[in-house]
Amino acid sequence: MKLLVTGVSHKTAPVEVRERLAFREDALAGSLADLKGREGVSEALILSTCNRVEITVTTEDSTDPQAVVDAFLAERKSVDPRAIAPHLYHVEGRDAIHHLFRVASSLDSMVVGEPQILGQLKAAYCAAKAAGTVCGWLETLLARTFRVAKRVRSETGIGLMAVSVSYAAVELARKIFGSLAGRTIMIVGAGKMSELAARHLRRSGASHVFVTNRTYERAVEMAALFQGTPVEYGRFVGMLPEADIVITSSGAPEYVLHKEDMQRAIAARRNRPMFVIDIAVPRNVEPSVNQIDNVFLYDIDDLQEVVNANLRERMKEAEHAERLVAEEVDRTMARLKVAEVAPLIVGLQEQLEQIRAGEMARVRHKFGPFTPQQEEALESLTRGIVNKIAHGPISELRNHAGQPEGAHVIDVIRKAFHLQD
Amino acid sequence: MAEMSVIWLRVAAALYSLGLLHAILTLVRRREHLFRVALGAFGLGSVFHLVSIVEEGIFRRHCPINNFYETLSMCAFLVVVLYLAAHFRYRLESLSVFIFPLVFVMAMVATMSNPVGAWSSQVMRKTWLTTHIILVLLGYAALLLTAGASILYLFQERELKSKKPHTFYYRLPPLGTLDDLISKSMAVGFVLMTLAVIAASTWAFIEHRRAWIAQPSIAISFFTWGTYLALVFLRTAAGWRGRKAAIMTVTVLGLSALTWVAHVRLGTILKP
Repeated sequence: MKLLVTGVSHKTAPVEVRERLAFREDALAGSLADLKGREGVSEALILSTCNRVEITVTTEDSTDPQAVVDAFLAERKSVDPRAIAPHLYHVEGRDAIHHLFRVASSLDSMVVGEPQILGQLKAAYCAAKAAGTVCGWLETLLARTFRVAKRVRSETGIGLMAVSVSYAAVELARKIFGSLAGRTIMIVGAGKMSELAARHLRRSGASHVFVTNRTYERAVEMAALFQGTPVEYGRFVGMLPEADIVITSSGAPEYVLHKEDMQRAIAARRNRPMFVIDIAVPRNVEPSVNQIDNVFLYDIDDLQEVVNANLRERMKEAEHAERLVAEEVDRTMARLKVAEVAPLIVGLQEQLEQIRAGEMARVRHKFGPFTPQQEEALESLTRGIVNKIAHGPISELRNHAGQPEGAHVIDVIRKAFHLQD
Repeated sequence: MAEMSVIWLRVAAALYSLGLLHAILTLVRRREHLFRVALGAFGLGSVFHLVSIVEEGIFRRHCPINNFYETLSMCAFLVVVLYLAAHFRYRLESLSVFIFPLVFVMAMVATMSNPVGAWSSQVMRKTWLTTHIILVLLGYAALLLTAGASILYLFQERELKSKKPHTFYYRLPPLGTLDDLISKSMAVGFVLMTLAVIAASTWAFIEHRRAWIAQPSIAISFFTWGTYLALVFLRTAAGWRGRKAAIMTVTVLGLSALTWVAHVRLGTILKP
């Protein structure tokens, strides 16, 4: 049996190529059935996302899986195999398993550690399962792939850190307040960026939103989006003590929040922390506000710096994840090799049992009949001998499965016991 | 002190103890459940306290500020009067967390001027002392947790202020979580320490009679408890967090260690 993974990804092909090879969800079942129906193909899986189109097949040993997939793509997608060849990657056997584990663990993603790819792979598996194109070896491998991805996610921090500015703001808010449940947000300047940040914060549990804007009608509009409260621009500084998180994105050319305003607000809050997110350019909040105890001021560059630090941290975690994946590949290969010698072990046991049963029949015929006690003693004796003889070769087969010299050992045992291939 | 004067003072201390209960509930549950009741008891207690002082003055034929106990009683009474006046003028509920326990302990100590009978049994003596030691050790454990969490708070706060996340930022819990842990462990620790101080004072009073208050180890204990009370007040009423609160917590922890050292020989009493 052969395993092949072939396809294009954001690393190997531009979007023009990826979109030509992409499979629409409604056409997936037909495509899978077509692929599975081709000569020599045992199982098939198609993963089609915006960043990758990947086909995984298992075929009989006599089949060239790459040729089958090339023909399938050429027919199904009407593409010239020579045109897409430079963009296609193809990995087989152990490398294919390694590739699948890396993809599922989000180590091959455009944003390393993003969580969507695992869901997309699971969706691809469900589609293939529904189409009846995974039902054996590949299904077992995919189940293992999902377990590996889960292990990577739980044992490393690869997916923990935010890698977008708006999520970095949410992550920082969580680092300051713990839970965002019941927190109040004040938006100063009803812009798109502040709306996006507030939306993320609201989704993370923040309970109430105040919106203020120089044009009051715009504040009313945005407040309605969050079931919040519009505040007249002239009054917002007085309401600061009520806000845990302040997002400023007004177009004002000068600072709209000064150190004295924040000092008064934090005193009124009896030093309960405040998180001020200034995403306006030019900045809306006097930078010295960050010097006030329990006030945490982040402007757009600070948020970007957090994102950069998170990315660096993710890359460190990715190194750990790569080691886990390599370890899991080794473990999987060892299991596969043991599974490979399983039929040989069963054959050996059957052969020895056959000899034992034959010899028992011969003895019974010559010296029998025996009493039940004698039968029991003979059965026990002969089974003991057979098991002791089988123990050595079976242990050797298991120990050498997957080892470089394994093939030679297997061959010797097969010949010694006259076992069939 | 005159016998009747002490009795009136004990009644006052009993009423002040409702104030202590209010402070404990405020700290542990973070709601001021009993304030009105405690304030009422505080006012009533002050009446009995005044009666005690007047009785003592008439008995001694001079203003009762001639020894430590009389002075302490007078001081506690003045604190009560000033607090009540300030509260009716400015509504200082938050200050009650500091004043109520302080006045209770001052009044309680002031009642311990007249020696009482010796221990009725050795079992009672040792059990009382064991209870005090267990309470104080539990209090130390809670204080240690508070100090540890305060230091972690400092590190995390520094990371967030620097805006350049490093290892601590990713590994340490959020400030909110640490703050919650600090508040809870500090409140539990304060309750345990207060109960331990009450148990220790009464034990020392019976054990050493009038001389108990003159012991340096007792003075250190009260000083430590006083700083703990100040810490609790500054955190709950003034909202102290971060660097200032951490320094204060570590100071209280240091004083607690000193108090422990001062009492290190106490355990030998428990030896059979």
